[in-house]
Amino acid sequence: MAEVELSCVAYVKMYLHASLFPHCSVNGLLLSSSPPGGDVCISDCVPLLHSHLPLAPITQLALTQVDIWCMQTDKRIVGYYQANASISDCSPTPSALKVADRIWEQCNQAVLLMMDNAKMSVECRVPPIVMYERRDSRWTLKDKQTIMLRQWEETRSIANQLLDARDHTLLVDFDTHLDDITKDWTNEKLNAKIAELASTANGKI
Amino acid sequence: MASVSELYDVTWEEMRDKLRKWRDENYRNSEQIVDVGEELLNEHASKLGDDIWIIYEQVMIAALDCSRDDLAVSCLQELKRQFPGSHRVKRLAGMRLEALERYEDATKLYDSILQDDPTNTAARKRKMAMLKAQGKSPEAIRDLNEYLEQFVGDQEAWHELSELYINEHDYAKAAFCLEELMMTNPHNHLYCEQYAEVKYTQGGLDNLELSRKYFAQALKLNNRNMRALFGFYMSASHIAASPKVSAKVKKDNVRYAAWAASQINRAYQKSVMSQPLMSSFEEMASRGLFGPKNMC
Repeated sequence: MAEVELSCVAYVKMYLHASLFPHCSVNGLLLSSSPPGGDVCISDCVPLLHSHLPLAPITQLALTQVDIWCMQTDKRIVGYYQANASISDCSPTPSALKVADRIWEQCNQAVLLMMDNAKMSVECRVPPIVMYERRDSRWTLKDKQTIMLRQWEETRSIANQLLDARDHTLLVDFDTHLDDITKDWTNEKLNAKIAELASTANGKI
Repeated sequence: MASVSELYDVTWEEMRDKLRKWRDENYRNSEQIVDVGEELLNEHASKLGDDIWIIYEQVMIAALDCSRDDLAVSCLQELKRQFPGSHRVKRLAGMRLEALERYEDATKLYDSILQDDPTNTAARKRKMAMLKAQGKSPEAIRDLNEYLEQFVGDQEAWHELSELYINEHDYAKAAFCLEELMMTNPHNHLYCEQYAEVKYTQGGLDNLELSRKYFAQALKLNNRNMRALFGFYMSASHIAASPKVSAKVKKDNVRYAAWAASQINRAYQKSVMSQPLMSSFEEMASRGLFGPKNMC
């Protein structure tokens, strides 16, 4: 099975998105700059919604807009993430599976990532994520050996730093963008901040 | 860490007024409420007058959201001292038990309130909230339906029920709840827009038409509702692209979609926008429609 690598900036943004709306379910899309075929590096993510996840119009709108943006920036949508509102239940919801199916139709290495809320903490030893891939028409757990997150401790520390500095409020998801269209759902500024922290940590992540 | 008043250069009156605004508009920005509220209570308690009690309540609930049990307990103690035997304070004590996941103890507390006062809606709602928190959605839905038979005018309850149904993917029942809300709140653009989203999700030509109409209604009530504008664009585009519609309906909907697209472009142009975002919508509009078909 192909290896999947989760980059620091993708993980940190997902984490901040979940932390920004702790009482809501949140979701988003996982992007890659690497060419199709072979191993996948999830180099970025776009946070989408924090309300009414199962409803269609805004999800469709966001998928299309992100798709187009990806074409313009040489990226592609390779996955979907979700963090459920409930702390104890991190199983994919029917609407999560539907969106993941749609993504898989365009990219057969697509992954579905659920945040494991109960394991999210300042000191978690391993990334609190559960990853699924599509095999035999079903989404099944991906072998943990094939999931990579380089320099986990640095990534975790960057996420915590931003949380402490209340910088998670900088994060803009698609929902927030619709409330105020001057806000940038590509999160350029936040990406730059994360990259800066990453390069001052032990070398480039 | 610098105090809120230093960081943002605000007076204690401004902090108090901010808290009131958040209270009135039911914001759940708990971290901010804790920051501002804690400082206000620690430094300016004597100036707050009778407002202090409602601020203690507000800060306590926000503290529970942020796992600040220390702050929650101290607020609760002040309230208990001032209002011994109060049901309202008892409910707050119950919420603290919920935050500690001591659901059985919380249930006992709420039941004791209800024994004293069977019409106490706050305690009933907390019991339903606990079901939701424990993932027992079907039971929460059942209890909420029973509650609404008695308290048929409770807007908050109808809205909560619509949310529960949406999460259970029971769109027909969610639509029914939103219809109740629209009937009693005809000027609320958010209910129209949410109803339109549910109809769109249900799919099929009739629902799409209805969805477009309600997006339009939401826009009439608030022409800055971007979700409604996008929703109107998408429902009109979908109808225009359907092979089952007459030429006239197609033509009408193409016109609606084009109008919406131009409104959206104008909105983006007026605001200070980064190029990528605006151009991605223009691209989408020029494509005519969009990739993923009806999601549900």
